[in-house]
Amino acid sequence: MQPGPRALILLAVGGLTILTGPMHLPGTVARAVAAAPGIIRGRVEIGRPVTTGERRPGVAQLGAPPERNRPDPRQAVVYLQAAPRGAFEQTDAGRAVMDQRNETFVPHVLAITTGTTVDFPNSDRTYHNVFSLSKASKFDLGRYAVGRSKSVRFDRPGIVRVFCDIHSHMNAFILVFSHRYFAMTDAEGRYRIDNVPPGTYQVVAWNEGKTSEPKAVAVPDGGPAELDFFLR
Amino acid sequence: MLVVGLGLRPAGAQMLRSEPLVFGDGRATLAGDVSWSFSCSHAPSIDGCGEDLGYFNYGNYETPLLRNFRVNVSASVKAARRISFLTEVRSDNLRRPEPYALYVRVRPWLNRQFDLQAGRIPPTFGAFSRRPYPTDNLLIGMPLAYQYLTSLRPDALPATADELIRMRGRGWLSTYTVGSQTPRAGVPLLNGLSWDAGIQAHAATDWLDAAVSVTNGTLSHPVIREDNAGKQISGRVGITPVTGLIAGASAARGPFAARTATLGAGLPSDDRSVTQTAWGVDIEYSHGYYLLRAETIVSAWHLPTLGTPAISGPLRAVAATLEGRYKLRPGLYAAARVDRLAFNEVIGSSGSETWEAPVTRVEAGVGYLLQRNLLLKLVYQHNDRDGGRVPVVQIGAGQLVYWF
Repeated sequence: MQPGPRALILLAVGGLTILTGPMHLPGTVARAVAAAPGIIRGRVEIGRPVTTGERRPGVAQLGAPPERNRPDPRQAVVYLQAAPRGAFEQTDAGRAVMDQRNETFVPHVLAITTGTTVDFPNSDRTYHNVFSLSKASKFDLGRYAVGRSKSVRFDRPGIVRVFCDIHSHMNAFILVFSHRYFAMTDAEGRYRIDNVPPGTYQVVAWNEGKTSEPKAVAVPDGGPAELDFFLR
Repeated sequence: MLVVGLGLRPAGAQMLRSEPLVFGDGRATLAGDVSWSFSCSHAPSIDGCGEDLGYFNYGNYETPLLRNFRVNVSASVKAARRISFLTEVRSDNLRRPEPYALYVRVRPWLNRQFDLQAGRIPPTFGAFSRRPYPTDNLLIGMPLAYQYLTSLRPDALPATADELIRMRGRGWLSTYTVGSQTPRAGVPLLNGLSWDAGIQAHAATDWLDAAVSVTNGTLSHPVIREDNAGKQISGRVGITPVTGLIAGASAARGPFAARTATLGAGLPSDDRSVTQTAWGVDIEYSHGYYLLRAETIVSAWHLPTLGTPAISGPLRAVAATLEGRYKLRPGLYAAARVDRLAFNEVIGSSGSETWEAPVTRVEAGVGYLLQRNLLLKLVYQHNDRDGGRVPVVQIGAGQLVYWF
């Protein structure tokens, strides 16, 4: 099978640039269409001190604030920088949850596909006010109390930084992809992207706003490809 | 076949650092905020874009709050599980930085919300002072009770009611014949720009919190080193009956006059009859995109009877503030505040008159988050005073605030 014309869309998150046009991709991607999918797996090591969600010094407070949960800032997301056409043919609009619990967004990082609706329940006894000013999605859900939930549908790919207007230390990331070839790392930093058509891809790791240089990986027919990252 | 490349980069709306600096595995935290306020005043006696010649927005004689470049740096250091040191250092208009707060916080029982604080501590009284200005101040100006300079001074006392009445509307630079003869700014009902030194105990549950403090100064004249005849006791009880509703009641009483004033009045150095007593109630309710706050403070100063016509009875002041905010869309809000400061009457040679000139202020404006931690405020402020050289001033002001 000969590779046909390809189109490459580069989406700069935040809507800064969108480039489209015919491009030629390595033939391996095209051959993958009829082949058995493989997997990309590996480990992401965070080689820099990462902190997130620290409270500002509560100098004006009459006492120490209550203890709260701390998000794991070492969680990373690994994704294909370029993905096959079929990746964008979404059939179902998914749903995800980002809870507000003990003055922390749980999870701290959420990776979703476009069209997904995210629920933001409040599980605390205090008000929260979820908002984002990110170019991929601007919203402000207002203040609502425990037991209530509000939702946002994310239709544009990009990184959405989520904050609470009342608790300045509360923050989270929502990574919105227009394809499904991404995975989040587990507690040991391991990840696994399933059902990847055989071919050569550029893969990127992301953590707390930092991205790695793209790494090339060849996914064999029906087999695994190993790829590790070290994020400084 | 179509492929998509995702060049994920930090979200463009949050390029500036927004989190505090953390050192020593979380044991030390450093945060800061920088605000630049600019304004243009208009009054019949002011040509063009002038300063606030009515001194409606001065924290002291040198600091116009609406034309100010302020840098705040705050830090906390956990010395042990139960002990933390906290400080906030402030510089106005690039003047020498001064510690606004510097105290130690001790939590005797880790599993109980009970804290002791000692040093230059946050005010126990009222609600506004503990909101981290300027990030939580909906507008640019401060409520009159916390900032507006009355003619009263702790280091100088009016000998007669006539002296007092003569100073109406001149709190920015008042003079009296007893005590210090140097013209200086008077004091607000509650100084929101300076904190007192002393000790404080605070206990809290999910719906109730209570605090009591013993400090060297008074609400209107907080000091580091005691310059009066005793300590002030102040307390506050706050309740949160339902989420979004906070109500509080405060009280304070302490010797107001500095020793230079009491000695000048012929009183013993340990005289405690010149006092400030204050009561306050505050309430806040928010839901959805609304936020409403109201606060009332009543203050009474007891001055000595020195000459005739005498100042009979306490000098009372009542401040009432109502403010609200509505979020119009993500990052954009509109806010307004109405303020009234009223005073009781004294009887002078020419008849009865309020001892200070009543003031009404209306301030309204918008705030827009250029980034999550970069806020631009634009306001219009109308000040109306029943006395003084410049009784009416209209001000347009802007403020840019960055914090991390």
